[in-house]
Amino acid sequence: MKNFDLIKLPFSKNNPILVQVLGVCSCLAVTAQLKPAVVMALSVTVVVTLANLIVSLLRNTIPPRIRIIVQLVVVSTLVVLVDQVLKAYVYDVSKQLSVFVGLIITNCIVMGRLEAFAMVQKPWASFLDGLGNGLGYSVILIVLGFVRELFGSGTLWGYPVMEKLGLYSIGYENNGLMIMPPMALILVGLIIWAHRSKNKDLCEQ
Amino acid sequence: MKKTFSNTYIFIYSAVLVVVAALILTVVSVSLKPLQTKNQQAEQKQMILKTIGVDATRDNAAELYAKHITEADGYYTFDGGVIIPLKGTGLWGPIWGYLALDESSTVVGAVFDHKGETPGLGGEIATDKFAQRFIGKKMDTQAIHLAKNADHSNPYEVDAISGGTMTSNGVTAMLAKAFEDYKGLSSNSRISSSSRDTSNTREEVQL
Repeated sequence: MKNFDLIKLPFSKNNPILVQVLGVCSCLAVTAQLKPAVVMALSVTVVVTLANLIVSLLRNTIPPRIRIIVQLVVVSTLVVLVDQVLKAYVYDVSKQLSVFVGLIITNCIVMGRLEAFAMVQKPWASFLDGLGNGLGYSVILIVLGFVRELFGSGTLWGYPVMEKLGLYSIGYENNGLMIMPPMALILVGLIIWAHRSKNKDLCEQ
Repeated sequence: MKKTFSNTYIFIYSAVLVVVAALILTVVSVSLKPLQTKNQQAEQKQMILKTIGVDATRDNAAELYAKHITEADGYYTFDGGVIIPLKGTGLWGPIWGYLALDESSTVVGAVFDHKGETPGLGGEIATDKFAQRFIGKKMDTQAIHLAKNADHSNPYEVDAISGGTMTSNGVTAMLAKAFEDYKGLSSNSRISSSSRDTSNTREEVQL
């Protein structure tokens, strides 16, 4: 596979959420607003990229019998680092994400890419694969966060868009369902539907 | 072809890995500690200011705090009353808060927070909606408690959180403990309070 494909494919044909269906839990939980969605997306991208790189560098030294534990140690070290940095530099966001930062450890995308890719590929390719998958995950998170915050709370990044447009005065109401996790699942379903109708080869027979 | 690894190798490998990970984490944790502590202190000041209706950002919290709040022995005073700290346990971890009381021990502001209560259930104690319920309640002869279908005219009763019974019980226990610790404080502070001018007007209003 060409290196460029490693970055490009996760955006569409091999998107971690739409096609691999990994990392859906966090994608439902943190996308009620745009800001936590973006921070979560960045955090996961950093963690999956670095974890892929580190595990790939270690891959020939890792005894297969304890490889999952080794992967977990690498991932959790990185996650704790991310958590500490968030607490120091963007305290409010880290409070909002609370448990979800810790849950990056169990984000299936991270473990999935480590097992499927980094354990058997060279470091540079693994780095790109991690970056691609992290960004592919980010795109979906940001789209969801955008739609859910705009229609659920009438704001974007905290800025009251709907109010400024004067929609409330003509009887517009926020959609309360948008801020509930089930709506994120419905939206992901709609995106998958649209995505599959564009990419017929992904449909099962 | 698969490489085989001896048990000794596996033991040494995992030991080294864990020690390296621990070292990295220690270094980062120690070096970021000052920034994190600063954030936590600013947040605490923001919370205290919120009970007296001052909205502070993380940046101007210290400044506004110095202007409005005086620290006393284990509690805080402001122009018109005292702020008592609350500490307790919820369902999953610590919960805490601050209550601002005027001279008649009436709650003028409240704020709560938690470490890890369930979002949407017990975690609701951190919302303004919950804190608003305490305003106008009293902490004079007995503590405020949370109750299901609370009687809103009862000055010692506040609506509990549906689905958050354990957390609500924690809040009740926390209030009871604070009441024991700080009983009579708001009337004592009146004597020592230097801000006589506002307290006079306040008393007139109550009459």
